[in-house]
Amino acid sequence: MGSNNRENEIIMALKDNQFYKMWFKDAWPYLTGAVLLSAFQIFTLASTGSPWGVSGVLANWGAWLYEAVGGTVDKWYYFASEGAQRTLENGFLGHPGSMRNIGIILGALFATLMASQFKIKKLKSWRQVAAAVLGGLLMGYGARIGFGCNIGALFSGIASFSVSGWVYFVFLFLGAWAGSKLLVKFFM
Amino acid sequence: MAEYELDCLGEACPIPLVKAEKKIEELAIGDILIVQIDHSCAMKNLPEWARKEGHNVEIEEVDDGEWEVIIEKTK
Repeated sequence: MGSNNRENEIIMALKDNQFYKMWFKDAWPYLTGAVLLSAFQIFTLASTGSPWGVSGVLANWGAWLYEAVGGTVDKWYYFASEGAQRTLENGFLGHPGSMRNIGIILGALFATLMASQFKIKKLKSWRQVAAAVLGGLLMGYGARIGFGCNIGALFSGIASFSVSGWVYFVFLFLGAWAGSKLLVKFFM
Repeated sequence: MAEYELDCLGEACPIPLVKAEKKIEELAIGDILIVQIDHSCAMKNLPEWARKEGHNVEIEEVDDGEWEVIIEKTK
């Protein structure tokens, strides 16, 4: 029992430690996030030759999954270019964007475990599931047809001094406005 | 001084905030609204909204990844 008490004391002392709170428990300030995201964007562009993107990678994951079950995508318009074919041939492990996306998922898991906030959430209703699936499909389709999501088209676009990033920003705002109106109307 | 609970477990942003905004209108001054959440971004926007409205707010971490935002209606 003595050692158990000692362990509890150590855990309690760690929980109250100011550096634990600052780095792991409390949300980081927006400014810290902005500075880090900018640094990662610069690092990504310098090391891989392309700006940061997230959702384009997911399209490749879909293609690899489809190929794994015997399909081929080389006739698909989206994957028809030489560059896209080369990326697919290099495979998952040779694709910087895939490694980065895996890193984001593992990093998020690490952060939530360190803050002891990991939780498997229950499904509230089938309505919620349907809305999530529909929303995911619309976002995925929109991100591909628009050549980028809020990272590839918005963040990387604006960071590259491209007007398209700002156009994206305006319509993202309009979409979010319309979406929240629909949410309040159908989900409250 | 009645106490009301609002179960927002499993709900993602901004639903907890919108539900709390609606619910607090039904409360009398001095009543307490306890919003149960498990979406960490609601832990930021719920208290921010309630404090801006001038209510008293306390946050309690009740379990791993689960919080209660306790709002006392002041006006």
